[in-house]
Amino acid sequence: MQAKLRSILVDLAWPVLITIAMLASWEIAVRVLGIRSIILPPPSEVFEAIIARRELLLTHLWPSLYLTVLGFALSVVGGVLVAILITYSTIVRKGFYPVIVVSQVIPKISIAPLFIVWFGTGTMSSLLLAVLIAFFPMTINAAMGFQTIDEDIHRMARTFMGSRWQIFWKIRMPNALPYIFGGMKISITLAIIGVIVSEFVASQEGIGYLIKLAGGLLDTPLMMAAITMLSISGLALYGLIVIAEEHAVYWQAPSDIGAGGGG
Amino acid sequence: MLRINSVRKLYKDLEVIRNVSFDVSDGEFLSLLGPSGCGKSTLLMMVTGLIEVSGGQISINGEAVSGPRREVGVVFQQPVLLPWRTVLDNVLFPIELLNLSRAQYKDRAMELLSMAKIDDFAHHLPRQLSGGMRQRASICRALIHDPSILLMDEPFSALDAITRDEMGVELLRIWQANRKTVIFVTHSIREAAFLSDRVLVMGRRPATIVDEVAIDLPRPRQIAMMEDEGFNRYVRRLRKAIEASHAS
Repeated sequence: MQAKLRSILVDLAWPVLITIAMLASWEIAVRVLGIRSIILPPPSEVFEAIIARRELLLTHLWPSLYLTVLGFALSVVGGVLVAILITYSTIVRKGFYPVIVVSQVIPKISIAPLFIVWFGTGTMSSLLLAVLIAFFPMTINAAMGFQTIDEDIHRMARTFMGSRWQIFWKIRMPNALPYIFGGMKISITLAIIGVIVSEFVASQEGIGYLIKLAGGLLDTPLMMAAITMLSISGLALYGLIVIAEEHAVYWQAPSDIGAGGGG
Repeated sequence: MLRINSVRKLYKDLEVIRNVSFDVSDGEFLSLLGPSGCGKSTLLMMVTGLIEVSGGQISINGEAVSGPRREVGVVFQQPVLLPWRTVLDNVLFPIELLNLSRAQYKDRAMELLSMAKIDDFAHHLPRQLSGGMRQRASICRALIHDPSILLMDEPFSALDAITRDEMGVELLRIWQANRKTVIFVTHSIREAAFLSDRVLVMGRRPATIVDEVAIDLPRPRQIAMMEDEGFNRYVRRLRKAIEASHAS
């Protein structure tokens, strides 16, 4: 355990050093060149803004995070269920699946104003846009996981008289787990994008709304503070998924983790 | 007793197995020997009930085989262990599929693992084992529900030559203790001669049985036996039979 901790620290050392170096050169450049903070505030000023206006930031961060997590959860559950249908129903696989795939050429962000016409400005539109964007990679990944089981394993289970139900729970499900986590990692990022975009378009709260509002007021430090908070939250959510993956997909060698991703 | 009666297999118009008949008596170790791709694995899969016969009949103790059966255990070319299960849980996998009690079979699983000398790895994941150890685990899995017939489809062909010889000796030891009826598919002449009571030589396209050789060598058999003239006489005999089938 201690050795593992040490190797994590060693791996982190360089990226952390480089980040610090970049922030430092940004700080120095802004000061030396005398750039106004409306154009580009130095990191120290962004940090000050985060501290000074933490309540405002958190007030707007929570609803965004709540919608992101909810939209993500709906996408995961829905994506896995649809993937199961794709796996077991020929009609869904041959009829609906191609339609779902082709429909992905629609830039989903462009649908946001339409959602506002249908569902009004508010949480429902944000949630649905998050699901609309996050759902697809989840479905594709999970469907791939359920379907790419080793033919030999399938044959082995059948010689031992395994039923379809047993083959699903004992083989397809665990086999799909790495793919499902790969999908989750893509979906969480997309769910954030969906929520923020819909908050740009029409909302009275949320971190997307705050970024737009601060932009209108030319309060650049607040904008960047909001972006920073959003990025940290996104990173934290992603990290939670990675930790869950390491526990759930315990049988893969560490270097294989994420191999089921893509899509 | 296992009976294969005038079995044929057609894929569309292509005849891959023609009129194969033989009996395997209880407790016998029988090998099907033939070149790769000659249809011997297809024949074995028909005995498992996974592939249907196009003509003729396969019966176990007088009952026609129409699907997978409880009294059959199968070892494949690859170990096909489930990577998310420990070795012990892999061995118990058929017990779960057959809806039997895991608790009841756990001791038997450990006994089999210790007989295969991998009991120390019972709680390891397959990826932590060598290829030979994985295949041992898969033999334990095939034996866990105490089937009377063990079907083995080139089980050692993915292993290196040294491990392969050792595995043969191990298999015979396990077989001696359990006395299953074994059908062992192989393309190795020496392996067939070393393991079997009887070897059926199969010719290619369509597959038929071209020769039958009873291996009358004492048991238990040791690796050193492979140097003996008696053993090598059988090897030459089998090789000739295979060459003759090629020429025709």
